[in-house]
Amino acid sequence: MKESNREIRIDRETCVVCGACAAACPAEALLVEGLALVVVSGRCRPCGRAALVCPTGALKCPNPG
Amino acid sequence: MTEERRYDVAVIGAGPAGSRTAAQLARAGLRVLLLEKRPRIGYPVRCAEAVGPREVVERYVALEPPLLSSAINGVVVVSPDGRRLSRTMPGVGFTVDRELFDLRLAEAASAAGAELRTSHQATALLREEGARVCGLRAKDLSSGAAYDVPAAVVVGADGVESLSPRWAGLKGSYRPEEIFSCAEELIDGIDVQDLAIEFHLGARFAPGGYAWVFPKGPARANVGVGLNPLRAGGTTAVEYLNGFIAHRCPAGTRTRLVVGGCVVARGLRALAVDGFVAVGEAANQNNPFSGGGIINALEGADMAAAAIIAALGGGSASAKALGAYTREWRRTVGKANDAFYHAARIFYGLSDDEMSRMTSELASVPGIFDEKGVKPLAMVRALVAAHPRLLVQFARSWLGGKGRR
Repeated sequence: MKESNREIRIDRETCVVCGACAAACPAEALLVEGLALVVVSGRCRPCGRAALVCPTGALKCPNPG
Repeated sequence: MTEERRYDVAVIGAGPAGSRTAAQLARAGLRVLLLEKRPRIGYPVRCAEAVGPREVVERYVALEPPLLSSAINGVVVVSPDGRRLSRTMPGVGFTVDRELFDLRLAEAASAAGAELRTSHQATALLREEGARVCGLRAKDLSSGAAYDVPAAVVVGADGVESLSPRWAGLKGSYRPEEIFSCAEELIDGIDVQDLAIEFHLGARFAPGGYAWVFPKGPARANVGVGLNPLRAGGTTAVEYLNGFIAHRCPAGTRTRLVVGGCVVARGLRALAVDGFVAVGEAANQNNPFSGGGIINALEGADMAAAAIIAALGGGSASAKALGAYTREWRRTVGKANDAFYHAARIFYGLSDDEMSRMTSELASVPGIFDEKGVKPLAMVRALVAAHPRLLVQFARSWLGGKGRR
């Protein structure tokens, strides 16, 4: 399976970079850097938490909990 | 690369908690660096913008237009069965322009001598052998350059998405139910003539939380929802917000969408380790019942600053020396927050029917409200008295300890 299929994906149109996902991510895989939301490569162990707390539905997790 | 200049204190985050801490430290003559990762202070706003009574707010910032949006002159609670319980409480609070609010506090820090750098982000803590925190690593987001900032104390005031208290070992990531997932729209052309703050309860608008209307003027308000993600059945906060707006103000004009997470977790057991303290939302200092956190953050900032000044005055930034801050917080605001946390666990766990009954019962209990708002311990007592079986849940909630970190 390709790496991109095994980690969280961000819909940049919908994401407003509020940081709620970063607060919930146990792996520090999601970081707010300046005004951007960054997925740190290789860190996401898809657990569903970030997508669950996202207020806008911008995150798609391959393992939705 | 290491900075030539040494700082006494490096503060991460120029929101209310960080800016106020920096200002108080600089006023005491300490050399303070204040880092803000965003290019513009206070922007984008991530807040419902309500604060408490004037005499409290004005300890920190002058409450005048345009920073002051509107007075709040009453409270309306709408229970899940649609019953409205209202109380007139003139001057119970105010709504503010959060961007200006944050800007004034950051300016105060600069004016006091703190060095403010925007678009600079902390990326790690520096540690001495023995793990004591002795500064931070930062990144200039404009140039991409990384540099080290040695400092006797680091203050983590990096808000909901904070990592620095996690690096320091004071907390972990949040469980979904420890975050209100929030969405809010600034609406023009809404009827808020009485300038009451409205809380709408029940699963229809905000499961495990509440929907709100915070007046920003006679025909303008922040209209929002904050919900428990575990109870939302896969529906987003933005979708719940659309439902609430269709109910409350369908003819209003949407002017600004604000979205965010809000920490409603239990208070931290410790707020300091060797060379590091956490303040504000980063330190779970929000009210866990309402999510409100601006004034709590400012109060936490003053306590943190006082402890840092005393610790550095005594020549030690050890966890023991900085622990005076934890003790002061837990003796005061933290104690109230503990009661609010247990009340929230009980209250937001109720079914709509139970919540409707409870809301009307609570409203009739004397002593729950005073002129400053809800009294947490009185509320917990009334909740338990009204429904004795809640005593079991309350005891579990209080003694369980699983959520405590």
